[in-house]
Amino acid sequence: MLYRENGQFKTSYAADQQIFPILQDRWALGLLLLVAFVVMPLVGSEYFFRAILIPFLILALAALGLNILVGYCGQISLGTGAFMAVGAYAAYNFMVRIDGMPLIVAMLLGGLCATVIGVLFGIPSLRIKGLYLAVATLAAQFFTDWAFLRIGWFTNNSTSGSVSVANLNVFGIPIESPVSKYLFCLVVVCLFALMAKNLTRSAIGRQWMAIRDMDVAAAVIGIRPVYAKLTAFAVSSFIVGVAGVLWAFVYLGAWEPAAFSIDRSFQLLFMVIIGGLGSISGAFLGAAFMVLLPVVLDQLPHWLGIPISTATVSHLVHMIFGALIVFFLIVEPHGLAKLWSVGKQKMRLWPFPH
Amino acid sequence: MKFKPLALAATLVTLGAASFATPAMAQEQYIPLLSYRTGAYAPNGIPWANGKQDYLKYVNANGGVNGVKIAYEECETGYATDKGVECYERLKGRGASSFDPQSTGITFALTDKAPIDKIPLITLGYGLAASQDGGVFKWNFPLMGSYWTAADILIQHLGEKEGGLDKLKGKKIALVYHDSPFGKEPIPLLQKRAEMHGFQLNLLPVTAPGVEQKATWLQVRRDRPDYVLLWGWGVMNSTALKEAVATGFPREKMYGV
Repeated sequence: MLYRENGQFKTSYAADQQIFPILQDRWALGLLLLVAFVVMPLVGSEYFFRAILIPFLILALAALGLNILVGYCGQISLGTGAFMAVGAYAAYNFMVRIDGMPLIVAMLLGGLCATVIGVLFGIPSLRIKGLYLAVATLAAQFFTDWAFLRIGWFTNNSTSGSVSVANLNVFGIPIESPVSKYLFCLVVVCLFALMAKNLTRSAIGRQWMAIRDMDVAAAVIGIRPVYAKLTAFAVSSFIVGVAGVLWAFVYLGAWEPAAFSIDRSFQLLFMVIIGGLGSISGAFLGAAFMVLLPVVLDQLPHWLGIPISTATVSHLVHMIFGALIVFFLIVEPHGLAKLWSVGKQKMRLWPFPH
Repeated sequence: MKFKPLALAATLVTLGAASFATPAMAQEQYIPLLSYRTGAYAPNGIPWANGKQDYLKYVNANGGVNGVKIAYEECETGYATDKGVECYERLKGRGASSFDPQSTGITFALTDKAPIDKIPLITLGYGLAASQDGGVFKWNFPLMGSYWTAADILIQHLGEKEGGLDKLKGKKIALVYHDSPFGKEPIPLLQKRAEMHGFQLNLLPVTAPGVEQKATWLQVRRDRPDYVLLWGWGVMNSTALKEAVATGFPREKMYGV
């Protein structure tokens, strides 16, 4: 009744091709952005920003990048943590070695370095597929772990191997307070989400999806697998690299290679699977789920007044994630995003279903 | 491990002093506990976390510190820096009097945040060695020394055993360390000591978490060092001991931190 596009006539191609063709969706998104940009900074507590919203936004960005590779182009990657690390350490080096390097430029250059490494490790995808490719990208993970631990140059010869950044600012505005950090992440994530959405709607996005669905058929109709796969690796690792910069600079402040270990790669892959393969909103849903579930599970016993040991809680988190991943892979491979769109479909008929 | 009760006593004394200096308004002092009962470091994390809790319970059972009871809450970090930061952000809002991160990596990440929040970071025998300089690191309180102190004590002990530090000349000392900020902390001090006394320092990193050490111990077998300093944590230690036995390295020549 409320969610129905009756009477919304498209009179131009532009109107027909917009991202949200339904008026209600546009309103909902506008409202969401209003809440994110205006209401949250006014009402959010410091804990909410630092421990929930900022990691959520950054992980959503990384999941978005990974989703382009895994969800849209069908190339399984276990090297996400590695590409995040490349972005973070590259940006760190640009900041340390070049005086007065602006944060945004360092961030984009970090993303570019991740792109180069991503394309390099994407080359095997031209010959191998599926699990074998996953193992090849795993090599990227182990290689970068090793490189950032053992090659002193990358960490500016820090004796402990831990590096830190301070006094971040954008156009002279310091990025220190939780609100400013949150808004900075939010702007970056919104821009990248818009870019990613448009890329997947464009010719290149269709090539990726063709390769994902059947690469032989795609090649037959004239899509170059080399170009499609490597651009997917490039775009994906660029976004992931930028997310790595944000994770290191804005969220952690000081980090060691363990911050981008294999666990991070798995976490992001789970996010993409639970959130929804091949959808932009899936990255956000998956990240929200992944960030919120441990926090809620930690808090729940407190609210209910049941004493439960912290070890049990973290084991529970692992068990629930495991069960959910199995559940989603069997029941709904397109994840939370698909559930959401099914819900919307039902809403269009409500309250008079056929 | 004998240091643990001492460490707890030291924390309590500091906290006690703090609450004595400013007569507490609330009759409760809140202490957040960052611990790791899961993961590769749980073998060390569980007893440590239990010991801390037991001691706080003991103090409360004896009437608290000058009548002020201690409230505490545990947060699981899994020895991971990002989870530690999350725990810090969550627990600091509840009036945390101090943080004991129980991890070198988390200490590094919190060192930049503590001065902004004005919360003391208490590191008992671990943490950022450079934070001994309180003029620079105003909110870090490394009690009972740091890893530099620990490494120094080990070298002095070895010198004593050999009959003087000058006797260390020409000896080979291998540092088998956890390849993380924790394991790398003592390296600058040991290098300086090696320069001073003329012993050869072999650095043998073990990739975290340290369940695979065959290559490291093969190197120990080849180099035949006079002493091995084992800078391990969690599962790395038990693995290292097994490998040392397999290599036939004498246990009286191995020193753990």
